[in-house]
Amino acid sequence: MGDTSMNNLNFKKPNLRMGKPFSRVMMMFGLMALLLTSNSGFGEEPSLTKYQVEAVFLFNFAKYVYWPATAFPNATAPITIGVVGTDPFDDNLQNIIQGKTINGRPFVIKHLAPDADLGGCQILFISDSEASRMAEVLGRAGALPILTVGEDEEFAQNNGIINFVVKDGKVRLEIDLTEAKKNKLTLSSRLLAVADVVKGGIN
Amino acid sequence: MNNPDFKKMFKRFSLRKWIWSGAALAFLSNGALAGATGTNQVAKSSTDLENFTLEQLVNVQVTSVSKKETDLFTSPAAIYVITQDDIRRMGVTSIPEALRMVPGMDVAQISGNQWAVSSRGFNAEFAQNMLVLIDGRTVYSPASSGVFWDSQDVVMEDVDRIEVIRGPGATLWGANAVNGVINIITKSAKETQGGMAATSVSSEGQTITTVRYGGELVTNLYYRVYAKYASQPGLESSTGNSTPDYSTLFHGGFRMDYEPPAPDTFTFQGDYYIGNDGRQVSQITLAPPAVTPTNSSENNSGGNLLGRWTHTFSEGSEMTLQTYYDHVQQGDGFGEEFRNTFDVDLQDRFALGSRNDIIWGGGYRYAEIDNTPSFDLTWTPELVRLQLGNVFLQDDITLVRNRLHFILGSKFEDNSLIGFEIEPSARLLWTPTTQQTVWAALSRATRTPALFNLDGRLNEAAFPSGPPPAPPVLVSLLGNPNLEAENLTAYELGYRIEPIERLSFDATAYYNVYGKLLTEVPNATVMEGGHLLVSSTWQNLDSGETYGVELSAQWQVLDCWRWAASYTFLHMQLGPDTSFPPETSSPQQQFQIRSYLDLPHHVEFNGAIYYIDQIRTQSGGAMVTIPSYVKLDLGLTWRPIKSLEIGIWGKDLLDHEHPEFSSQETTLITEIPRSVMGTITWSF
Repeated sequence: MGDTSMNNLNFKKPNLRMGKPFSRVMMMFGLMALLLTSNSGFGEEPSLTKYQVEAVFLFNFAKYVYWPATAFPNATAPITIGVVGTDPFDDNLQNIIQGKTINGRPFVIKHLAPDADLGGCQILFISDSEASRMAEVLGRAGALPILTVGEDEEFAQNNGIINFVVKDGKVRLEIDLTEAKKNKLTLSSRLLAVADVVKGGIN
Repeated sequence: MNNPDFKKMFKRFSLRKWIWSGAALAFLSNGALAGATGTNQVAKSSTDLENFTLEQLVNVQVTSVSKKETDLFTSPAAIYVITQDDIRRMGVTSIPEALRMVPGMDVAQISGNQWAVSSRGFNAEFAQNMLVLIDGRTVYSPASSGVFWDSQDVVMEDVDRIEVIRGPGATLWGANAVNGVINIITKSAKETQGGMAATSVSSEGQTITTVRYGGELVTNLYYRVYAKYASQPGLESSTGNSTPDYSTLFHGGFRMDYEPPAPDTFTFQGDYYIGNDGRQVSQITLAPPAVTPTNSSENNSGGNLLGRWTHTFSEGSEMTLQTYYDHVQQGDGFGEEFRNTFDVDLQDRFALGSRNDIIWGGGYRYAEIDNTPSFDLTWTPELVRLQLGNVFLQDDITLVRNRLHFILGSKFEDNSLIGFEIEPSARLLWTPTTQQTVWAALSRATRTPALFNLDGRLNEAAFPSGPPPAPPVLVSLLGNPNLEAENLTAYELGYRIEPIERLSFDATAYYNVYGKLLTEVPNATVMEGGHLLVSSTWQNLDSGETYGVELSAQWQVLDCWRWAASYTFLHMQLGPDTSFPPETSSPQQQFQIRSYLDLPHHVEFNGAIYYIDQIRTQSGGAMVTIPSYVKLDLGLTWRPIKSLEIGIWGKDLLDHEHPEFSSQETTLITEIPRSVMGTITWSF
């Protein structure tokens, strides 16, 4: 009873009905096309996502943060970047740390469940997918020599150390030095100098 | 609160995925929408970035729209998303009210408990061309070809978003997604942890009380349970009398989400509701022959259970299996519909080579629909067993990477009532720059005739043909079991642009050609029993066309101030036969502006103004003019402490009262009054 073949699909119907309304619609389409062509000359497109930039920051933090010796099992142990929750970096983080060393230490990325043991990580990125248990994860990291990094209001409120905030299309940093000290980390003044907000004063 | 898989889920036209996903979308609330300043660093790739100093890194300009916005911005369809923020800040208490915010959506309140909701024309109490789903479960009634809005309730605070696609969506959603698809998506239980109690009271006597509690049963298994009670007295009619359109509704339910950091996620949810509505209908009698306005009281209840399993194979490849059971008991003023539906759907998405992104799937639905008859409305047969099977396939072909896509697909559907239907679509998507999107689409969609059109008989009027002993006359509308599906061929063209950061425009133009539209064809007058029968029968003899434009803009004036505006124009030409709904039942022009302003001390000031053009609708068999009206809503919310929000709204502030639509069943026209509403929401 219904249409059973492609021939009955009525795609040809408008040809039979090329009346006034259709031509008016065509005119509207034409106007839109005109609008489009007159606006096509935009300048250089920023093609980077915030996560591409944040991935480079994570790598750079290893240069500008000093961990106590107890943070590593030995002198050549890798710098472990833990990612808790959904990894927003795709391959960006892996591509950046690939083959790189800082002070003789290579990098390793570990994906962690929110309830996993955080020991062994030096940098911990907590995805905003874990907003609901930010306090709990940060609470456990607080006792360890771990640089906690986040991108969430919850993160800043729950005593995370470095928070990424996008302002005017740029990835800016907010740093909580009090928390860094609690975790026995020393942050380079160069890092503090580029931060928008530094809580806990600069020593 | 990013959706963990938004990149996969929001990609291109895989919009169906959105039904499945349960995470939050902080659309447009993202701080990323911010203005550009002088010292931008330009880098082409992350490899360039590695050599940047810290000072350079903090000045790198990143793309201003986040991925989820990008994916909306680059959708090859007229899509609009209402967020939780929109719902909360505009003091919205029902789904139809929320839908007003969608550009071009025609939302009219018929009475205290009835709504007419459609897009691109054909508005009526049962707007037949809009498919509506709540968390992937259809709420479109096959008996009436439309939605009983009075029974469609959700906890508004737990709505994650409402996605609306204007235009045909049949390739993915199937029959009846002719003029649009409305997907109401509630939050994952993970996003609703803790307690919430809310109550709202309006000057018209409407009260709503909601309680919800959410927790984590075992690691990664989240739940919420909720209960809601809403009631409202009848409104006033245009003649100043009170109307019987009161309503009460109790709604309770639960949702569980298992979201481990693993490829498999599960959702299990269920609802139960029971309510009572009043309305006026015209009751027909033959002895004596008369049409008598009668107040009827409708008992509505229903329940559903839904389970969903999503397995992610890799980025961009996942499979979803969903099944649900739904029971509905719905009064329509003349009788009752009992409907039991079982539905199972499978959907799979994967990349084929580097250029083809395939979505395919299939589904089966079995529904038993039992209609109890009255003298006004009878059914032959009364019990219908409906089977619906479908398969669909869509390929998103990358012609030029990041620039040009061609999306081709079709649904193949077999309906035990009307047979086999094909619903193909072809879409072209061109993104010449990251700030511009152009799309064009050619699609076909079909509307299955309602059981009412196929099997119903409505006695519309009765009157004496002369002084006794002349026989009475009965006017009837007869169903026709041989009807075929109505069809639409739609031509759409869309353009989006973000000329400067914080400002974006969206324009869509469409030209729709409808075929096999149902129309009432008069029959010869015959004697039936002791009366004369003046009848007409539904036939697929009408056709029509519509065209229009939908323009909208979003402007983040300041970090604390956002505007949204839209203008839509619709032209409908149906004919040559008289059809229902009449072509005048949808406004030709609509306009709206909404403003969202954040003030200090956790105060928000929100406002919306809507202009809706004049319409002409049926009122108890006669045509009436509903004048154009302007609706102004203003609201203030204050969050004195983090866990408490107090809100006050003034709605329809510009006039004492105005009508928005009329009912075919009665000559009573309900006036929508000016009202004030207060709300307290406590989170714990």
